[in-house]
Amino acid sequence: MTKDEVVTLTNLVFEESFEIDKAKLTPQAKIFDELGLDSLDIVDLIVALQKKFKVQIREDERVRSIRTLDDIYTFILTLKQEEEQKRPGG
Amino acid sequence: MQLRRVVITGMGSVSPFGRGVTALTDGIEAGRSAVRKMAGWDHYIGLRSQVGAPAELKDEKLIPRQSRRSMGRLSLFAVQAAQDAVDDSGLDPALATTGRMGCVVGSTTGSAISISQAFETMLPDHDLTKLSSMQFFHCISHTATMNVAQYLKLNGWVMATSAACASAMHAMGTGYDLIRLGRQDVMLCGGAEELHPTVTGSFDVLFATSVKYNDTPHLTPRPFDRDRDGLVCGEGAGILMLEEYEHAIKRNARIYAEVIGYHTCSSGDHVSESSRPAMVTCMRESLQEAGVEAGQVDYVNAHATATLQGDKEEAEAIHDVFGDKVPVSSLKGYIGHTLGASAAIELAASLAGIRKGVLYPTLNLQNISPECQGVNHVMGTALQREARIIVKNSFAFGGISAVLVCRVMADGK
Repeated sequence: MTKDEVVTLTNLVFEESFEIDKAKLTPQAKIFDELGLDSLDIVDLIVALQKKFKVQIREDERVRSIRTLDDIYTFILTLKQEEEQKRPGG
Repeated sequence: MQLRRVVITGMGSVSPFGRGVTALTDGIEAGRSAVRKMAGWDHYIGLRSQVGAPAELKDEKLIPRQSRRSMGRLSLFAVQAAQDAVDDSGLDPALATTGRMGCVVGSTTGSAISISQAFETMLPDHDLTKLSSMQFFHCISHTATMNVAQYLKLNGWVMATSAACASAMHAMGTGYDLIRLGRQDVMLCGGAEELHPTVTGSFDVLFATSVKYNDTPHLTPRPFDRDRDGLVCGEGAGILMLEEYEHAIKRNARIYAEVIGYHTCSSGDHVSESSRPAMVTCMRESLQEAGVEAGQVDYVNAHATATLQGDKEEAEAIHDVFGDKVPVSSLKGYIGHTLGASAAIELAASLAGIRKGVLYPTLNLQNISPECQGVNHVMGTALQREARIIVKNSFAFGGISAVLVCRVMADGK
């Protein structure tokens, strides 16, 4: 999965689940302070990202350090790379 | 202890005729039926009743996302009706945060759609990780009242009543008591409900639904009629603002009516069969509290859902208490049975009609059933008549009876 694909799908989650205007979805946008998400939204963000990317991140400690959209992009890309490496012959 | 007086100063509803009490009475006055054949319900095995009275959800996106996210369909209806009741009352919204204003909003269950979705999400793989954080808030029994309170920033008493079809009546009775006792000055009271195959299905398995009119939905339900065959579920919300009398007078509020009596009781003998003696007791107790004789009552707005047994028991009970002179009608022929919302929606419609000098007829009542004779049915056309004292009946599974008595007021008198 390319970074562009991750960005597109992640931004779609923010548009669909949190009704955030596309223009605000810059990599440096802070998800709490600038995009207005709160602790309950984070639960739904995790559910939505899991569904979109077919990953399991609910118990992943790295979720706690996410602050910006770019943090999410990087986290998802890392997960996808880990997935690739785990594949037989990968 | 001197009990305080309680008046109704605001009304809001979302009904199968749309948002607003005016839309509701417009539909009734046009003699329309909001009952439809429900698309997709034929996919359910064993669901014999294919009709319902859906309400249209509109403008819900005007509610900010962070407020809206915890609202299932019935909470959205409740919040819209509550906002309309506040607007209708002209009350200063600042009162919301004084601790003297609260709400009691009931429903049979939490959002039926959300409950169904929660199980559909969780059960196939027994996997909880796919559940949204909001699913719980949509499904809980006090979802409507909690959302109304949060949306309007109420920080007084917030409670939910859950007595199936009598939920809104229990809510109004509770609000009435809280204000009478001086605990609160203003209470938003009522109920909300949503239409879903599981809701109609719960009545259908008990053979309480209408099944013969799936291809002619506008002809059902038929309260008190010879050819009635059961209830039709509807949805929506009704919220009435109850306010302490002096408080309302001081701010020069428009007063629809004074609540002068309320009673609720159980039959104590059967969970689903209607009980004429319990209904009689409930009506008599509420009249006694109101300090009025049965002969002084000008109108009874019946619960009458068009079930075979319920209508019979209620007609007989009304006859026992009021004889055959007091005009009686049911509004469920127009909008179906809005269950936990019904008492508030129907009381709002009745009071709005009475302000125009009319008592609405029972739609689809063409031939009075022999077992529902003995009362003065309003049928065919509206009755042009001034009404001062009115009785609202509400009954529910579980042997619940609840009755409210109101004195219609004009200019605060």
